[in-house]
Amino acid sequence: MANKPKLAFYWAASCGGCEITITELGMRLVDFDEKVDIVFWPCAMDFKYDDVRALDDKEIDVCFFNGAIRNEENEEIAHLLRRKSKVLVAFGACSHLGGIPGLANLSDTESIIQRVYCTTPSLDQTRGTLPQISCKVPEGNICIPEMYDHVKTLAQIEEVDYFMPGCPPVVEQVWSVLQVILAGQLPKVGSTIGADAKTVCDVCPRQKGRSGLRIKEFKRPHEVELDPDTCFLAQGIICCGPATRAGCGLPCISANMPCRGCYGPPEGVVDQGSKLLSAIAALIDTDNPAELQKIMDTIVDPVGTFYRFSLADSILSELKHKRP
Amino acid sequence: MNHNPHAPETFADRVRNIPGGEHLEMCYSCGTCVSKCMIQQKVEPEYNPRRLLRLVMMEMEEEAYESPTTWLCSGCDLCYPACPQEIHISGVIGAVKSLAVEKGYTSPLDTVSVDESLCSGCAICVMVCPYEAPHLIEKIVDGVNDRFSEVDANRCMGCGICVASCPTGAIAREGVSNTDIVRQIPHEVVKTDAPSLMVFICDWSLRADADLEILESYPENVKVIHIPCSGRIDPQLALLSLRSGISGVLVCGCKSGECHYQRGTDVANCKISMLDRMFDQMDLADGRVRFVQIGTQDRGRIRKEIDQMLLHLTSLQEVC
Repeated sequence: MANKPKLAFYWAASCGGCEITITELGMRLVDFDEKVDIVFWPCAMDFKYDDVRALDDKEIDVCFFNGAIRNEENEEIAHLLRRKSKVLVAFGACSHLGGIPGLANLSDTESIIQRVYCTTPSLDQTRGTLPQISCKVPEGNICIPEMYDHVKTLAQIEEVDYFMPGCPPVVEQVWSVLQVILAGQLPKVGSTIGADAKTVCDVCPRQKGRSGLRIKEFKRPHEVELDPDTCFLAQGIICCGPATRAGCGLPCISANMPCRGCYGPPEGVVDQGSKLLSAIAALIDTDNPAELQKIMDTIVDPVGTFYRFSLADSILSELKHKRP
Repeated sequence: MNHNPHAPETFADRVRNIPGGEHLEMCYSCGTCVSKCMIQQKVEPEYNPRRLLRLVMMEMEEEAYESPTTWLCSGCDLCYPACPQEIHISGVIGAVKSLAVEKGYTSPLDTVSVDESLCSGCAICVMVCPYEAPHLIEKIVDGVNDRFSEVDANRCMGCGICVASCPTGAIAREGVSNTDIVRQIPHEVVKTDAPSLMVFICDWSLRADADLEILESYPENVKVIHIPCSGRIDPQLALLSLRSGISGVLVCGCKSGECHYQRGTDVANCKISMLDRMFDQMDLADGRVRFVQIGTQDRGRIRKEIDQMLLHLTSLQEVC
């Protein structure tokens, strides 16, 4: 068939979970493959960057780009794929919001390199080997891509047409989005696809908190026996559900674990972590500054909790990295 | 007090029978409560708890229901420790108000409302409200049972604590909605030698007309956004201000224990303290966001706080 839509899949700074979610389509993927041409998918098929370079501009119909922008190579390929694709989809939490790699923005490149190559206790530190951008060997000069000072989202470096959230996007949502693409029914450019408009609480079946319920101590899921029918917040457990878009089908909540926030903020929210902070801090019950410090101590790693998947996309990260 | 068991129940009896209303008769009309009341000073000169209690004792039911005192009391309890008779006045007023609601009277206050197209039914508003105004209701929407928040307008005092805490922006009140406040934050501020400051000020914490004049006396670089209570502050508003290039943010509220809406100051303190911890983790903690609590006796202190903040921000700029 001459007019089969051409698709591309790419992974930048990611764990591979987004790739697994596509393979989870199983036999549906085999059927799907007959309806489309996959022209680039380095994780699963043998393509080279030159194959993409050889394509005409806008020859790819839809490119699913997962992973954050962590280094020069990620950015170079993002620009290349943008040029070659009619539609660019930020696929998964990392390209959408920075995801888990985005938590590196708590730190900077130098301290990360120090930690990974020098001070990790299990390392043999005697040789002091550090990765070099470029290295002379008898055969010539070999280079690795330069790691950036901080992690960026795809939309921070390129124009993105659609955002598909999730760590990873759940397989049923992937399938429905593929159907939408085949039917040529993609919504308005800039939309979030494969997810709901409202938050996790909208579909969470748990009994919600009552009037005047306040928190004196936050607990972590492993510290208490959790009631499977009651709102996590009402049990003093931080749940990101109130500030997280629904669409995941609640795998965490059903497994009696609080929402981690991977589907990102709902429509209209700019900064997921600060909105979640605003909701949760208002539940704290104290008028005593010393007690407040003690209560806040029970939130281990507030940035990592409130911005677990969205730090690279946050104003907090922007403020840190814009500083002179 | 009605000592005759056969006599018909009076209005005062009904007020006394509601928990909170039992101290009615202890009032000997000294007026100390009026002298402590922020509403009387700032909003409604006719506001007068002493007089309301007297109306009840004189069986002037209609007048009591129509009195602004019945509806404007937010239970801040500034009058409570001052009352020589130790009457929990807001309790008595609350009892009158609940009878008024039973009779079909409604609150004249501007209250919040919920946009169901945005509400996820998370119940954050239900939990944070000092007045138990919001509650969840169930409704069938497109054949599916869905939950939404609904606000009891007769309980809502319009503080905006729920507006700030709602993660989806579903709750709003004219003038204090997210859009109304975000609109006042400049999009981009050009950096100059003088640092710029955004002041979010709770209008109750302005202790005199002179305080407002102080606020207005600053040049362009000090921008002021009025909020109904410091509990209306949402960390996203502070972050948006900083992103626009403003050098620092000062949030002003009342002293803890003196908050007009009971817990607004404590809520704001929790939010800003938590934001501070995040700044610390991000290596950004340099005091550029500050929360100050202005006591009822702190007339003119706003000038000192703004000047100190500007000095601090100037020293930060010099370091850069």
